[in-house]
Amino acid sequence: MIAEETLVKELKSKDTQSHAFEVLVSTYKERLYWHVRRIVLNHDDADDVLQNTFIKVFRNIEGFKGDSKLFSWMYRIATNEALSFLKQKTKKLGVSDIDYQEKMVENLQADVYFEGDEIQLKLQKAIAKLPEKQKLVFNMKYYEDLKYEEISEILNTSVGGLKASYHLAIKKLENYLTQD
Amino acid sequence: MKRKNLDKNPFSTPKGYFDNFEDNLMAKLSKETSRIPENTGFTVPPSYFDDFQSKLNAKLKKDTEVKNDKKVKVIQLKPYKKFIGIAASIAALVLMAIGIDWNSKDAIEFADIANSDIESYFENHDLDLSVDEIAEVIPVDGMEIYDFIDISMNEENILDYLNENVEDIEELNIENNE
Repeated sequence: MIAEETLVKELKSKDTQSHAFEVLVSTYKERLYWHVRRIVLNHDDADDVLQNTFIKVFRNIEGFKGDSKLFSWMYRIATNEALSFLKQKTKKLGVSDIDYQEKMVENLQADVYFEGDEIQLKLQKAIAKLPEKQKLVFNMKYYEDLKYEEISEILNTSVGGLKASYHLAIKKLENYLTQD
Repeated sequence: MKRKNLDKNPFSTPKGYFDNFEDNLMAKLSKETSRIPENTGFTVPPSYFDDFQSKLNAKLKKDTEVKNDKKVKVIQLKPYKKFIGIAASIAALVLMAIGIDWNSKDAIEFADIANSDIESYFENHDLDLSVDEIAEVIPVDGMEIYDFIDISMNEENILDYLNENVEDIEELNIENNE
């Protein structure tokens, strides 16, 4: 795998930019896709957000100073894109965030790209009820296996705060799933 | 076996491995005993990830074209409008030249003169200003050929222009409201 510094350097050079961008997309597309998908739930929406994320990365790579890892920077862009997308949707439809999320979870039952069983559907209903930060931390820790330090860099939150959010999220989800 | 090699540990761990060991262990333990499923049930269309790069390239190309189109200069339909300020300055000079008594109670203030009056004055009077006098009040910077050419466009020309330059003219929702 190509070193991050080299990749960034190649992305900033006109001669190597095109090839480097292909390497970047190929390396991160799946991880970022699943990250975005767990936020927006629907495949087509996730596809839109993912494409916009990579376009933003491409357009703004000159401004990437290397203060954080490239991976964290891209995750941050993807997270912001996904959250902005949800905000636009709720604004357009004139509904609250939680109402929109619950509606999206209901739609999963008819979604051809959701093959979850009853318990997986129930989990999505429970996640929809979590506050935004807890939702993000839970998905990034439980499903994406990111370290607290990495999540801290992406969400700009202290590690202590993240640990508290994660444990609260797990507790709420466990309680919800054990209810009949 | 050489004794000196026994003191050396040839193995290493990833950076921060021991710092995160407890967190990782707790996470693994909690997953094993948790009722939370380890899979979300989301899927993607077949070959979605294989086709992603080409789809992204096409979108990036289109996005670049749109950005470039936005940079195309917009030509003002009535370019002389920007000269109103300059014309006002010249008019002030002219008024001063013909010697208005500014101390009289009924004196006309410059602000009282409508722009249309100033325009009309320039159209109907020969100012007889020399090139140097004009150059003193008209800044050369920012002047363009369209400032001197009055482009009159009829509706048909405008529609032709939009038809050629706008990707989806239907989206403009142009209706004949007459």
